[in-house]
Amino acid sequence: MASHSAEIRGRSFGDRLLFGLVILLALAMAGPVLYVIALSLKDNKELMVDPHSVFHMPYTIKNYIDTIGTSNVFSWVLNSFIVAGGLTVLTLILSSLAGYGFARLNFPGRDALFVIVLLGLAVPEQAVLIARHQIFSWLGLHNTYPGLILPGLSSAFGVFLMTQYFRAIPKELDEAAILDNASRFRVFWKVLLPLTVPAQATLGIFTFLGAWNDYFWPLISATKKEMFTLTVGIASTQQNFAQSQGIGFLMAQAVFAGAPILIIYLFFQKYIVTAVSGAAVR
Amino acid sequence: MTASIDINKVTKQFGSLTVLDELSLSIPANEFVVFLGPSGCGKSTLLRMIAGLESVDAGEILINGERIDNQPPGQRGVAMVFQSYALYPHMTVRDNMAFGLKNISVERSVIDARIAEAARMLEIGHLLDRKPGQLSGGQRQRVAIGRAVVKEPKAFLFDEPLSNLDAALRTRTRIELAQLHQRLKSTMIFVTHDQIEAMTLADRIVVMNNRKIEQIGAPMEIYNRPATRFVAGFVGAPAMNFLPVKIRAEGGLVVAESGAGLRIATAIAAEGLPGGDYELGIRSEHVRITQPAPDAAEGIVDVLERLGERTLVYVRLGDGHQIVGSDSGDSRVAVGDRVGLAFEGAKAHLFEAAGRAWHGQEGGHG
Repeated sequence: MASHSAEIRGRSFGDRLLFGLVILLALAMAGPVLYVIALSLKDNKELMVDPHSVFHMPYTIKNYIDTIGTSNVFSWVLNSFIVAGGLTVLTLILSSLAGYGFARLNFPGRDALFVIVLLGLAVPEQAVLIARHQIFSWLGLHNTYPGLILPGLSSAFGVFLMTQYFRAIPKELDEAAILDNASRFRVFWKVLLPLTVPAQATLGIFTFLGAWNDYFWPLISATKKEMFTLTVGIASTQQNFAQSQGIGFLMAQAVFAGAPILIIYLFFQKYIVTAVSGAAVR
Repeated sequence: MTASIDINKVTKQFGSLTVLDELSLSIPANEFVVFLGPSGCGKSTLLRMIAGLESVDAGEILINGERIDNQPPGQRGVAMVFQSYALYPHMTVRDNMAFGLKNISVERSVIDARIAEAARMLEIGHLLDRKPGQLSGGQRQRVAIGRAVVKEPKAFLFDEPLSNLDAALRTRTRIELAQLHQRLKSTMIFVTHDQIEAMTLADRIVVMNNRKIEQIGAPMEIYNRPATRFVAGFVGAPAMNFLPVKIRAEGGLVVAESGAGLRIATAIAAEGLPGGDYELGIRSEHVRITQPAPDAAEGIVDVLERLGERTLVYVRLGDGHQIVGSDSGDSRVAVGDRVGLAFEGAKAHLFEAAGRAWHGQEGGHG
């Protein structure tokens, strides 16, 4: 009996310790975010005089009003949405079609081609950057949406993920549908594709987040201010206006930049957790 | 709707491996035929060739006299029930059943009527709005059958559809399948490696082994007059007893003698039997357990299997061979006992080395 209660006490102490650690980690994660939000609600001049004023009143929404009124942040958000959204949709379409092809169709050189696709996982972006820049320059694609979207479409990861997912679906389903008079496209569209939704969600989330946060290629390809994506736009603000317009204004823009992704996260939380834990891949 | 199926000299190869070799078979309309054989004998491949899921390398398949092996699967007018059921997981039961009909643009009202009728027949009306993941194995099985029924096919093809069910449900579904066949009067082909399913369901059994058909016949014909040693050993539980014997003629009939001093007078005509080595085959129900007697065969009891209505007694003979005999359900025999064996020689079969069988009564070989 005594050992039993000691066990309960021991377990509850362990739970308390774990709980404390979780709170510490959560604070470590949330701290910078809360700090950014607090800074964005402070007057710039007050921050210049006393950086610690962030921890006390008064707070103001002037920086947000200025952001809405004066900065390009809205057009950058729109650009990011077009690029990340377009890339996500196109990647899902191409990866699904390619995955179906590799998993279900018999064609000469299929396995060799799949290996070549997988090799794409090992090629770093920096290795092809100059060549790609040159080609896009010849084609006049810089400072255009296609110029920002096209490089991300060659997603070896997406093709690999979808191929593995289609392979995991029993072939009897295809056969049952074929016996049900379904055309090959109808088998793909009505029977198999709906079953890949978890994989589509995983791939879609990774693609969208990757494209939204991408800084490297947009920095090189988008040189005109109106074609900046959010990451490039905010970085340009920091370089040019941080001193003159103040840290509070900069942080207000950062909150604007982060808000859409936060909202997406809240909506797709379940899928993101599944995607990161790898449970979506059967 | 029902149809006859003719398979003419069909051959199937996977690479250099021949899976079916010039196989021919005629299935009349309305018949319930079971393809029975061990794993890898080609029975599922043959079924899939009829369905159109495997190509035919040589020969032809006809349904109602019309060649169909060059037609796409969906246009052959057959419906298949898969071992794994292959229900579409994201669709409701109703959508699963309607899918095939929608694909050929059947009117909505007709689809609804057929689904309602099939659901009533299979007692799945209350499941129509559920998805397969919410159903038990037995319910999924019924839905899979329902999906086939609504198509009103010329022939039903079943690919080991009971193997994923537990023993009790398997027995019940077996009976329901037999009733379904009586009600629909449709041609049905059923693939299984389970001889009990074959014996209980089939009008005719096609026993297959090693790329070819060993025997085609009604269940009791297969059981009582197996055409080959393979059929004799494969059909029936426990398997038929086999003993190597020397034969000689007595009064025009064969008398078989084994190394253990056994002497079994059979009803097999001695005339026309070629020379060579033979095996005698006899089922356990034709070997009675008796008290040891000076002039009777005897052995030591190895194992007892009490089946309720009878007891199977595994007896080790003097030469090391084991014979399974039958005793009453409340047999008092114990392991280690010395017992006598009384053979019903009239029910014995002879198998020559090549596997061909010779039976008693009418004589000749199967």
